[in-house]
Amino acid sequence: MSDNMNRRDFLKGAATGVGVGLLGAMGLYSYSPLRKSHFEQAERKGTDIGMCRSVKVTNVSETSWFDNGTLMGDIKGAGGLLVNQYLFNWPPFGNGKGLGKGSYEEGIAQIKHLLPGRLDEAWDIIKGNSVNPDNAGGYAALVEVEEMSGNKRKFLLDVGWSYKWCEECFKREGVDKMLENKEIEALFFSHEHFDHFWGLPVALKYDPEITIYIPEGFYPEGLQYIKDCGHKGKLITVKPGLNQVIPGMASYVFSIPIICRVYGEQSLYFNVAEKGLVSVTGCCHQGIIRFAETAYSEIKYENDKCYGIYGGLHISPFEDWDPKYDDLVISLGDYGFEHIGCNHCTGVLCAKKFISAGYPVVKGTARFRSKDTAYLGNGDTITFG
Amino acid sequence: MERFGEGYLEERKLVKRWGGPIPALVCLALTLAVFYLTWWVFQDPRGVMRMYTPYVGYMYCRWWLIMMIWMVYIFNYWPFKRKWLENTHPLIKGTVLTIISAVILVVLIKGFFEGLLGNFGLAYFNPEQLEKLPGVTSFFAIEYASLAILMFAAIASWLSPAWVVAMEEAPWQKLTQPAKGFSILIMTFFLSMVIYFVTMHPHMGILYHPWQYFTSIAPPYWEQFADTVSGNFHISWIMCCTVVVWLVETIWERYPFNLIKNDWARRFTAFFGIIAIALAMHFFLYFAQELTWGEAIRGTRRAFAPDWRWLHVGEMAIFFLVPALFITFYCDNWPRKYSMPVNVLIRTVLAVLGAAVVYIVYYKTSHNFLGTQKGFSHPQQFPMIPMIWLVNIWLVHNWFMDNWPGWKMVPKTAEEIEADHAAHKAAIEDVRWTPKFGAGLTAGAVMGVAFYFVTVWALPGIYAAIDIIPGK
Repeated sequence: MSDNMNRRDFLKGAATGVGVGLLGAMGLYSYSPLRKSHFEQAERKGTDIGMCRSVKVTNVSETSWFDNGTLMGDIKGAGGLLVNQYLFNWPPFGNGKGLGKGSYEEGIAQIKHLLPGRLDEAWDIIKGNSVNPDNAGGYAALVEVEEMSGNKRKFLLDVGWSYKWCEECFKREGVDKMLENKEIEALFFSHEHFDHFWGLPVALKYDPEITIYIPEGFYPEGLQYIKDCGHKGKLITVKPGLNQVIPGMASYVFSIPIICRVYGEQSLYFNVAEKGLVSVTGCCHQGIIRFAETAYSEIKYENDKCYGIYGGLHISPFEDWDPKYDDLVISLGDYGFEHIGCNHCTGVLCAKKFISAGYPVVKGTARFRSKDTAYLGNGDTITFG
Repeated sequence: MERFGEGYLEERKLVKRWGGPIPALVCLALTLAVFYLTWWVFQDPRGVMRMYTPYVGYMYCRWWLIMMIWMVYIFNYWPFKRKWLENTHPLIKGTVLTIISAVILVVLIKGFFEGLLGNFGLAYFNPEQLEKLPGVTSFFAIEYASLAILMFAAIASWLSPAWVVAMEEAPWQKLTQPAKGFSILIMTFFLSMVIYFVTMHPHMGILYHPWQYFTSIAPPYWEQFADTVSGNFHISWIMCCTVVVWLVETIWERYPFNLIKNDWARRFTAFFGIIAIALAMHFFLYFAQELTWGEAIRGTRRAFAPDWRWLHVGEMAIFFLVPALFITFYCDNWPRKYSMPVNVLIRTVLAVLGAAVVYIVYYKTSHNFLGTQKGFSHPQQFPMIPMIWLVNIWLVHNWFMDNWPGWKMVPKTAEEIEADHAAHKAAIEDVRWTPKFGAGLTAGAVMGVAFYFVTVWALPGIYAAIDIIPGK
């Protein structure tokens, strides 16, 4: 046999062998327990964000929309969950052209001159131009942090959606007066979604100079809207990661894609003395377990304990279900939260599954259009610490 | 005897209209233009029909793929006659055959799944039945039904071609059409149904509250192994099977299974070998995510959730299919000048590199032109849809239109067909056991294992250096 033949045979064998060896290793090793030796043990950073004595959250509104069927009908009609939220023709950006044919520019042009002071007039125009304006509600929460000194500081997390509904809710909880009196020192936006962000003029009507924190990832329309609403205060874009606010309070921004063409979510951490970690979220698109795991790796908190949760947990916001949500229901118990005040995009079905699983869900009163006591509803409060 | 399309793909000679890479580039530009136009019309969330909800568009996209596999691989273009296939202008042929595939597609989904199964068997195949449940909105009723139907499609898109590629149509290979087509169709549909019930039905059974303990196994049996109750665990390996079938059929030329002389041994080895290779991909691509993004955490969402990681395995797998088909359809399965194993290895390396490039380009740019959202793990981000849509366009172009206008179809003469068979047989016989082959095989296996561990070691660093989505 010539050298050339030998070489060719060797190459043929080698080419075949590479595939055999590679695929064999892929199949036998990749999901074996041995693979775990390749994972780095995440080092806990243990960043000290300070400590506060207590946190009280007042649910200004958790009912982002009143009829799920109507909202899902809009989403279906406009083309699904990936359609840009500014195209839906939802309030306040209605242009009169119908579902799925809206635009920010055409919508805002109708009402810009009335913002933020003349909201009743703006709402009349919006009602005539928008799709299902009466279905709009909103999500907003008043967060009161008691410092170790006993001094109390107030923050707003999100401002809701419908001008009409949000103003009604602000007045009900006295948020309008707090804003007018400059008692609320900053407004945190969890993310750019319509039901958390589009009610901005209602807050600016009472305090146009309020400092606003937004997560990195807002789209040009959202940034323009903040200007068009007449905001005159500081606008702070928070980069992904940890952002300390005051002792015992920090926000954390996650770079994540969200439905209806939104990007980035900001949630709040509190380190409550003698209790532990408290998480306050708008929608928590990153997932509550991801949020808890991030706290574990990033910050130091009392007793190394996850203590409380308030807010939307974004599990079944449209009362839909998926087996992966069961993974969350099954796993949440491992984190040992002692007080769970959930609402909004958590999904009533999910809240009921939490209750069935024996989790410490703090029940609400189902007032002011909140639908079920499994939720900490509109006008309800929860205090951690 | 009446001839339909048996052997049409092998017995046609595609002659380049221009020299060099021009035909491939022209066809690539043309098919990408058609892809984008049809994407805008049918799928794009900003476009006309906006079927990317995502499951509605995904369901039609996936079943359309299978319709073409049925028409070409299982029914050999029956009832169209060979003369018609050879003499009709590719534009007319493409239009007629595409319309027929679409009609069968609609009849299957609306008639068989939604109408028959959904009304008389399993309610979750029919949106109208689902809407009768309290609290289920029309949108999610349609999404859930589409999900169930497309899960069936995932299985069928593996088994339908596998019966031809691996089982070589046996035992019906000598039947004429349409008897052969119906035999294979019924067999693969039956197998798909069995696999559907043991993989996807338990997923559907816990999609509703309370869990449907009396109609499905709940929680599903794979929960502890897969670290999730989601059926995405199965989507993952089944998608890998689909991709591996086509790798075996195209750039691997059925190597190394074609070395086995005994017919039934070769068929079964190929059939189960495809599954074994798919499982290797399934586990490795999951591991690759753990290496780059960190361990999955059960119960969390998005990129850290085990269920999404399994889904993403399937999504990654589909990226291999695109360059592999491009090499076969538009590059005449380049290279061909070396021995079969070396050709196969080179093509595989090219397909892997191509897949990595397409993956990076997709996640860096697709949100700018497909109407999808930026990021890896958006719950409505399904790269399988545009990738399969593109594959569908290429199948229409190659199977129904003979790569027009870059190539011209000329039927091979009997001598040319005979020469092809002889050359193929010689290429297989060229690979035989010798001491040097054995030594090469051993050395190659060691290199393969070494390459695996080098990849495992290097992957986190490479991923960090590329930074596909800045700020992720």
